Amino acid sequence: MSKPTRSLDVEIVDSDFHTTESESDLYPYLEAPFDEMLQVDDSYFGQFYPSAGYVTPVDTGRAEMDKIRSADDVRDAMELLGTDASVITPGLNLRLGMVHHDDLAAAFATAYNEWALDTILDDVDDVYGTAVVAPQKPEKAVAEIERRADETSVVGVTIPSGGMTPPAGHERYFPIYEAAERAGLPVLLHNAGTGLMANFPHQWQWTNRYIDVHVPYHAAEHMFHLSTLLTNAVPVRYPDLEFVIQEAGVGWIPYFLHRYDNEYSEKREDASMLEKTPSEYIRDQFYFTSQPLEGTEDPSYVCNMIRMFGGAESLMFSSDYPHFDFDFTDQLLQMLRREFSTAEIENIYGATAKAVYGI
Amino acid sequence: MSDAADADDLHFVASADDLPPGDRLVVDVENREIALFNLDGDYYGLSNYCVHQGGPACEGRLGGLLVETDDELRYDRRGEIVSCPWHGWEFDVKTGSHVARPDQYRLPTYEVLESDGDLYVRF
Repeated sequence: MSKPTRSLDVEIVDSDFHTTESESDLYPYLEAPFDEMLQVDDSYFGQFYPSAGYVTPVDTGRAEMDKIRSADDVRDAMELLGTDASVITPGLNLRLGMVHHDDLAAAFATAYNEWALDTILDDVDDVYGTAVVAPQKPEKAVAEIERRADETSVVGVTIPSGGMTPPAGHERYFPIYEAAERAGLPVLLHNAGTGLMANFPHQWQWTNRYIDVHVPYHAAEHMFHLSTLLTNAVPVRYPDLEFVIQEAGVGWIPYFLHRYDNEYSEKREDASMLEKTPSEYIRDQFYFTSQPLEGTEDPSYVCNMIRMFGGAESLMFSSDYPHFDFDFTDQLLQMLRREFSTAEIENIYGATAKAVYGI
Repeated sequence: MSDAADADDLHFVASADDLPPGDRLVVDVENREIALFNLDGDYYGLSNYCVHQGGPACEGRLGGLLVETDDELRYDRRGEIVSCPWHGWEFDVKTGSHVARPDQYRLPTYEVLESDGDLYVRF
């Protein structure tokens, strides 16, 4: 692989960097009763995490994906990317919210967090993780947040939101938000293409190419989560809670903010607890990770989109490595340099993330 | 080699024995990474720097092309399409063109010559 050019003079924080844990990595970390109850064989990869069966460029050998299953793997990848700090997010556990057995889902969340601490976070500096929680079991999610909150390397709470049903604004999740706010940790929402199968089952059934899924799905699912967070006034109820919205690019954000404010003007009763415009809540309490950055053939498009949602204060660089649609570190910078000041670029590449994650 | 002027532009890269038909070789010539391909005895050279995000464009899968005609899926042009392993962008070995968007993206090509069992690239 070719070498990156380090072109920034700031500490670069990667706000979405994936592990590639396998299901069998987690088995040794499963706690009671699943440690005794399950008689699983390592060969049954993906037995409990649903797969939507998409044929991706990795399956056809077009793209090759690195494995991130050890501290050394993380170090090597960060050297390739030229980043200084990373916030790791799950791989297989992006599908956690669709695990069929709710209690097992909660046990897998605990197992993943143990695995991540044991395998990566305890062994490498400048790499941070989150408490991954299963939305199926809010009370167990609260316990998991409380269990991890004092770990210095744990800087957030991840809800794998792909296929999360009901959507993120539902009152059943309020205890999770309360616990995250109490712990001073932001909540990360990260979808996964598999989520189409759970939350958009007709579209899953009637599309049969991966691009049909991946282009519309990520932003679409985020819009439902964000919209319900607003109608249920989660930012009002938890004013000190911050959200990090991951992996949907940038252009949908100004579209969503403008459309929401516009409709709020005529449908205020649907979000009657809000005390300011929806876009103001988004600007004050929500952050976005940059990958997969679309439109890079047209830097003025990218700069305009980022300006339109106040990205100089809320956008955080992310690579998404090692997923095959990852963004190399320099790409966003090449866009921003045209129109953004050095201070704004430093925000996007590290300063904002440091403030949000407290690192 | 035909004359001295030409020879100035030619850079020895490998013995032809190192690049049998169907194979590829990535070489470093005066700070350029160039991928050499042998398609049934014809040689092609492409820049190994991906025009997308700088990945090793010619080090991924060397395979064929899926095409669809009359509602029929077919696998065609075996061995003539190389993929960048970073994001799976497909390039035509013979032209350097990006398969999906040939008018917008192309890898620089290099002429590859064989002389007395040795391979040279011209630039």
